[in-house]
Amino acid sequence: MIAVGLWFMNHAMESYSIGTLRRMGPGFFPAVLGGLIAVFGVLIALPAFFREGDPLGFEGRPFLMVCISIGVFAFVLERLGMVPAIFALVFCAAFAKPGPNLIENLALSVFLAISAVAVFIWGLGIPIQAFRWNI
Amino acid sequence: MEVFGDLLFGFQTAFSLQNLMYCFIGVFLGTFVGVLPGIGALATISMLLPLTFYVPPTTALIMLAGIYYGTQYGGSTASILMNLPGTPSSAVTCLDGYPMSNSGRAGVALFVTTLASFIGGSIGIVILTLFSPSLAEVALAFGPAEYFAMMLLGLVAASTLSQGSPVKGIAMVLAGLCLGMVGTDVQTGQQRYTFGIPELSDGFNLVAIAMGLFGVGEVIASVNKIRDQKADQRQKITFRSMVPTRDDWSRFWWPMLRGTGVGSFFGALPGTGTTISAFMAYAVEKKISKTPERFGKGAVEGVVSPEAANNAASQTAFIPTLTLGIPGDAVMALMLGAMIIAGVQPGPRLITEHPEIFWGLVASFWIGNVLLVILNLPLIGMWVKLLQIPYRFLFPSILMFIAIGVFSVNNNTFDIFMVLIFGVFGYFLMLLRFEPAPLLLGYILGPLMEEHLRRAMLLSRGDATVFVTRPISAAFIFVTTALLLWAIYAAIKGKINPKIDD
Repeated sequence: MIAVGLWFMNHAMESYSIGTLRRMGPGFFPAVLGGLIAVFGVLIALPAFFREGDPLGFEGRPFLMVCISIGVFAFVLERLGMVPAIFALVFCAAFAKPGPNLIENLALSVFLAISAVAVFIWGLGIPIQAFRWNI
Repeated sequence: MEVFGDLLFGFQTAFSLQNLMYCFIGVFLGTFVGVLPGIGALATISMLLPLTFYVPPTTALIMLAGIYYGTQYGGSTASILMNLPGTPSSAVTCLDGYPMSNSGRAGVALFVTTLASFIGGSIGIVILTLFSPSLAEVALAFGPAEYFAMMLLGLVAASTLSQGSPVKGIAMVLAGLCLGMVGTDVQTGQQRYTFGIPELSDGFNLVAIAMGLFGVGEVIASVNKIRDQKADQRQKITFRSMVPTRDDWSRFWWPMLRGTGVGSFFGALPGTGTTISAFMAYAVEKKISKTPERFGKGAVEGVVSPEAANNAASQTAFIPTLTLGIPGDAVMALMLGAMIIAGVQPGPRLITEHPEIFWGLVASFWIGNVLLVILNLPLIGMWVKLLQIPYRFLFPSILMFIAIGVFSVNNNTFDIFMVLIFGVFGYFLMLLRFEPAPLLLGYILGPLMEEHLRRAMLLSRGDATVFVTRPISAAFIFVTTALLLWAIYAAIKGKINPKIDD
């Protein structure tokens, strides 16, 4: 975080004219912000060293599968359209919990695909294609 | 009375078929997500933000606001029946609501909370109606210096008074401000922090940030946390079981009014929202009670007061948002974002320039609250059934709505990847116990703050003392400094006694 703050400030100072207080350039505000962030990074990091760490409780499986499902959705959406993308998303997401039930998820995909087409395409007229072929 | 004429005008707006329908959708969805644990008003409103591009601004705001106060009603249902708060602000309701349910008085608990919510909400609306126009008039005299100082106060208040460590809160606000800098500089047209990516020249997409932080992050965190469990089916909620005894009534009115008072006050302050109001109201009630030992074992006061408070707060929270353009919490920040997207400039001129939005919204609050009573009392059985939808069906649906929603903003898969990045970011923030809400506030207020700061400096010819020499601005700065000092004090105290720092 300290690093990010310093980088933000540095970038602002190097790339944009800071100007004077009277005529502030586009770099002034970000530069100050970057400095403040670095200060707060120190404020947070220092006490953290003196404290006993408690476990973070990071859960890899849901994290990975949720990310993959969204990524896959975007990928399939561009190439095959919305309905296949929904199927892909639901099946990937199902693996976030152990022991997915494939039949249940198939039913859920069908239900979601129908409601999504009804709400987004017919209801709101969002320009998105249910099916397409563009690989 | 001029107010009545304006209100009448508001009702004319709100009673159009389209607005009524969206108001209903809003409160319905609000109750729905309020009842369901694991998804709250923030995630829902950010999911529905893209839909607001397709309807007029008044209608959109009516719907989004309906979700917001609808969750306050729905949240108590899960608290009482399952000891699982549907929303953070109804966490206190569990303390006495669940014991009531265990002793076979779930019906009474649901009835009194709905009634208290309705009356608390109504009083909140009256306060909103009476105070907003005059406050907006005062605010018209504000110059850029006052605006900057006021926003500073709002951000500092939001970050120091929220749950969790104030230092982390302020750091989150700063991070939000930095994110707000991305894009084209308004005054010079220079591209900042875009790294030549054309999609970033308009800045980060608000919808992508909000959905990533509150939607995706929340889903990742809840997948394993929320156990699918059955709602308490032992007792049927019938109308007969809802009738409170005379003893209940005698414990109803005063706690309700006190809760409303506490809620209205904290709701109207920038930075403190419904959750803090509910906790404060419970604390007040317990302190002044002659029999504090009854609390936690099913005391009627312990459910009535916090529920009245969080509903009153959810209405008065609109005061700073609509009159000053300063959001009190993250939900209000999203509402402001929705206004800006719809091309409506929030601020003191909103009431005079867009009376249909202000008065229509106020009138829709009345309609929405009446609808909510209908939804929550006779139809309570339906919500109880809904509590049984397992989360393994829910979270893929949420992810789908997020993905399609963010795509529809610009018809661009780039935004879906942005959601992904912010989702990962949001999840790690949650793991490290940073509150994402102040970040969103900072993101929305950042560009406005920078603009006002530069304008103030331009007007004062580079004289930075302008913030302390103008009385209103000086007052804001004074309160801000006091809050910061308090935060530093709390941080030091927390270091000596780490148990407090939670």
